[in-house]
Amino acid sequence: MSTPLQVLVVDDELAMRESIAAWLIQDGQQAAKAEGGREALALMEQREFDLALVDIKMPGMDGIELLRRIKEGHPDTLVIIITAYGSIESAVEAMKAGASDYLLKPFDPEHLMLLLEKMGRQRRLMQENQMLRQRLAEGQMAGFEDMIGSSPEMLKVFDQIEEVAATEAPVLIVGETGAGKELVARAIHNRSARSFGPFVAINCGAQSESLLESELFGHERGAFTGAVKARRGRLEMADGGTLFLDEVGEISQKMQVALLRVLEDGSFLRVGGGQPLTSDFRLICATHRNLPELIAAGEFRQDFYYRINVFSVSVPPLRQRREDVIPLAEHFIAVFSQEAGKVPPELKDTARRALISYSWPGNVRELRNIMERAVIVSHGGIIGLEQLTFLEEGPKPGSTAMSLAEMETEHIRRVLQAHGWNITQAAATLGIDRTTLGRKIKKAGLRSS
Amino acid sequence: MTAGGAPSPQVEVVPLGRVNSTAAQVVAANLQALLELDAMVVGPWPEPAQALVPARGQYDAGIILQDLATPQGGALRLGILGKDLCVPFLTYVLGESQLGGRAAVMSLHRLSEGEGGGRAPRHLMLERAAKVGLHEIAHVMGLEHCRTAGCLMRFSAGLATLDRLNMGFCPACRRDLIHLKIQLIVKAPAR
Ligand SMILES: [Zn+2]
Ligand SMILES: [Zn+2]
Repeated sequence: MSTPLQVLVVDDELAMRESIAAWLIQDGQQAAKAEGGREALALMEQREFDLALVDIKMPGMDGIELLRRIKEGHPDTLVIIITAYGSIESAVEAMKAGASDYLLKPFDPEHLMLLLEKMGRQRRLMQENQMLRQRLAEGQMAGFEDMIGSSPEMLKVFDQIEEVAATEAPVLIVGETGAGKELVARAIHNRSARSFGPFVAINCGAQSESLLESELFGHERGAFTGAVKARRGRLEMADGGTLFLDEVGEISQKMQVALLRVLEDGSFLRVGGGQPLTSDFRLICATHRNLPELIAAGEFRQDFYYRINVFSVSVPPLRQRREDVIPLAEHFIAVFSQEAGKVPPELKDTARRALISYSWPGNVRELRNIMERAVIVSHGGIIGLEQLTFLEEGPKPGSTAMSLAEMETEHIRRVLQAHGWNITQAAATLGIDRTTLGRKIKKAGLRSS
Repeated sequence: MTAGGAPSPQVEVVPLGRVNSTAAQVVAANLQALLELDAMVVGPWPEPAQALVPARGQYDAGIILQDLATPQGGALRLGILGKDLCVPFLTYVLGESQLGGRAAVMSLHRLSEGEGGGRAPRHLMLERAAKVGLHEIAHVMGLEHCRTAGCLMRFSAGLATLDRLNMGFCPACRRDLIHLKIQLIVKAPAR
């Protein structure tokens, strides 16, 4: 589905700009008209255009001057210069001044069609590049959160990701704060057929209702005080990709109704707008709240819940997959050491035990923060108990913390259970051979229950 | 896409000056068959001299449309011209229409062109005429261009692209046409 191009036609001749605009609209594009450079620039202050068709010969500001100003103030808008037959020099000048292309008046219809297709492709490319840059920028911040885990709980999550990625259905991700819900959403997006489209995330809990409304739906100029420029909402931005609504349990009932309507008939209006827009996105929601409880309390709509919860993925808290704590900690040590240009410090046994037995109220995010700080304050290539600063009171020495051997036994027991005590499969998951596993089972006295 | 007992919207196919009458009949028959419109060829109008652009030796489609446009509620009109059509910003057009309006116009002038400058066989010319007529009347009903390969609502600037189109609409356009036709019937005054 190609989204229409937003085109601005700038020509001082009324018949010309009217007929070009009418033709564009019949072709399924969106067209606005301006009779001169000043009017064009004023319109461009109000909304974004993908493409400007600019007549080169106009009284006042001529087409080349307007082209220069557009390239200065709106570098993302493509400009095509319209020029008369026989004025090759002006076409050359336009191309040198940054025009994407030129058209000789009257245009050859086949040429016009090819040019519009080309502009559509160029715009898509530009959007993809923007998205890629954004993803890279976010990746540098979020790189720490690569999902790591070999616990049966996480293996189940990975399986579910693969399963839902193959579908287009809405997914609800539930899990505690910091457990990595957004990572799961990104992983679903990246494995889906929409991976080449945008991944657009928004935290619904972080803003007021009116702000969230205009963030999601966009707004027209003058829709409210401060709306000096029309803006695309996240729904529009997610066209062709995935929309991720984080903390969906925080949104008001009014917004739930509005979103439900979008999900049901696929179209929506910008705030203050009259023209229905459509966007083709896959919806993924996440929450740390218990939505069925909110529904029972009358705070969340059941119909909306059914819509967003076609599939659900539950991300386990870190304390329920303690065997992943050390691999995660070591991963973060490696990442932050590289950032700081340090040799990765080693985790002392005391530190390991403390990490394993801690309650992790802030989940993986808290572990990441603790390890980032530990790498910075470590010296002598070692991270000990002194370098760890826990959010809650840390475990006291000599507490009931499990030993590493106990942890290993617990881990093996869970893997065996997950594989129904199939030794071959369990050994493969654990990354050891069958004989070694057999020995460990015997030594720990494990048996199927 | 029958609308039960409701009357089909009417389309008058209007020859403008001397026009191949078989082509006009074929266009009307295809509007009947594919769009289930009540289409008929009416008596010819004089050649639209007021629309001639002397410098270009072509007829301005916009001016012809203004003359053809009927008052709201009457029949839709499709003018057929033997001469070449243009609009101010395009070197030529095969047809032109008011989107969601009352009138369309098409030209037979280029439809007889064959490969390598020869003449196209008669059946090909008639097929092209039917395609252009269906495309333009669908515009008048309110349908925009479609990007689906082969769909009759794809924009075809030249004959090569026109010849690659199917003699019919894609499923999405067919669905839209049903809704647009219902709207036309609702808007029309009782006869
Ligand atoms: Zn068309
Ligand atoms: Zn179509």
